[in-house]
Amino acid sequence: MRREDLIQKWLDHALTPEEFEAFKQLEDYEELTKMQSALQYFKAPEVDVDAAYNTVTTTRKDTSKPTSWFKPLLKIAAILVIGFGTYLYATLPTLTTHETIAANKTLVKLPDTSEVALNAVSSLSFDEDAWEEKREVNLDGEAYFKVAKGKTFNVITDDGIVTVLGTEFNVKQRDDLFEVFCYEGSVKVTYNDTSVVLKPGQRYLILDGKEFRNEEENRKEPTWIHNESSFKSLPLQEVIQEFERQYNVTVKANNIDTSQIVTGSFTHSDIDAALQAITMPLKLKYQKKQNSIILKRD
Amino acid sequence: MMFSSFFKKHYQSLYSYLYYKFGDYLNPEDKAQEAFSKLWQNCGKVKPEKAKSYVFTIGNNMMLNEVKHHKVVLQHQKIKPKSHTNESPEFLMQEQEYLQKLERAIENLTESERTAFLMNRIEGKRHKEIAAILGISSKAVEKRIYRALGKLREEIKEL
Repeated sequence: MRREDLIQKWLDHALTPEEFEAFKQLEDYEELTKMQSALQYFKAPEVDVDAAYNTVTTTRKDTSKPTSWFKPLLKIAAILVIGFGTYLYATLPTLTTHETIAANKTLVKLPDTSEVALNAVSSLSFDEDAWEEKREVNLDGEAYFKVAKGKTFNVITDDGIVTVLGTEFNVKQRDDLFEVFCYEGSVKVTYNDTSVVLKPGQRYLILDGKEFRNEEENRKEPTWIHNESSFKSLPLQEVIQEFERQYNVTVKANNIDTSQIVTGSFTHSDIDAALQAITMPLKLKYQKKQNSIILKRD
Repeated sequence: MMFSSFFKKHYQSLYSYLYYKFGDYLNPEDKAQEAFSKLWQNCGKVKPEKAKSYVFTIGNNMMLNEVKHHKVVLQHQKIKPKSHTNESPEFLMQEQEYLQKLERAIENLTESERTAFLMNRIEGKRHKEIAAILGISSKAVEKRIYRALGKLREEIKEL
């Protein structure tokens, strides 16, 4: 066996008796055994195993705290909850919301004495606390605004933003219709990043994504606040939808071209008069069945 | 009880390992005790076959944490030979000289060489056992020990 292999085996404490004899014959033998015995001086001190055992097994009760990780965690959790709650309370907008159901209208006073008339099936919300910094309301549906003079007033709808100073105007935002009437002062309408300024008597209309602008009647207020809905050059479908909102009924108009353009008005206080106002000019007949109304050709 | 026999079997061994690896300065015995305390508290969670590597790992980690705080001090750490008697004065002189050389040579080994070599030579552990403790292959242990031996022989000759 090679000298190196013998030393390797000796290092692994794996020499057989014969190999050990061979190892003894090596010239390294004396040096290696001398080192081996000298190394014993560097032995790690003996430790008192029994004493250590007693220490370890008796300290158990003092040191074992099964819930110790849980308590600090609870404290941290409590602080987080309180902090987060305070943060939410302080920063979340406190929205005031007004909603109307079908056949219903309401009048809302804003913190700065501005007035809003809310038409049927509409919702208006605003942040009362932040009113001083920004006069801003969210509108879904139709409303008529009489805005007190002051800072910029914004009406935010899904379709566009209406910005004013002090004025009176009507905003109508329904499914595919977005209509703004200006009655007094001036109004800025922002729709798809483009802005238009309306003067009194002007109308801005988005119908199915198309933009229309025209001069309008010289009324002082929208008719609907006096219980009459009026339409100018709008599809019949819009009239029907408004009728449904005002009388809380469903209108079936299956065989009728509801996209034809109509002009006219109907009252909110008499369903038969209203139906006649709608059907007569178009030469239609109507049939009432509880909460649904069927429109037919004459 | 299982814990007591386990303790008696491995406590000295863990202590020696920490002693060879880190020297005597940073209280290896405290760390060995703490490691076994941890095992004692977590008896239920540690599988019996993992217990040994559990205490060795914890002991080692605790020493390493300590080393972080004492980095500068550790560089001057030395292993002291035991004092000894009952020999003739000349022999003592020679022996003393040899021991000093040996000590210096051991100091010059790397930590990994020193740990493996001393466990092998002094504790009489085989390569396989050391490999299990250090978590490396026996081949690597063999290389470290052989390299350490070569370094020691050379340095003692030179000095």
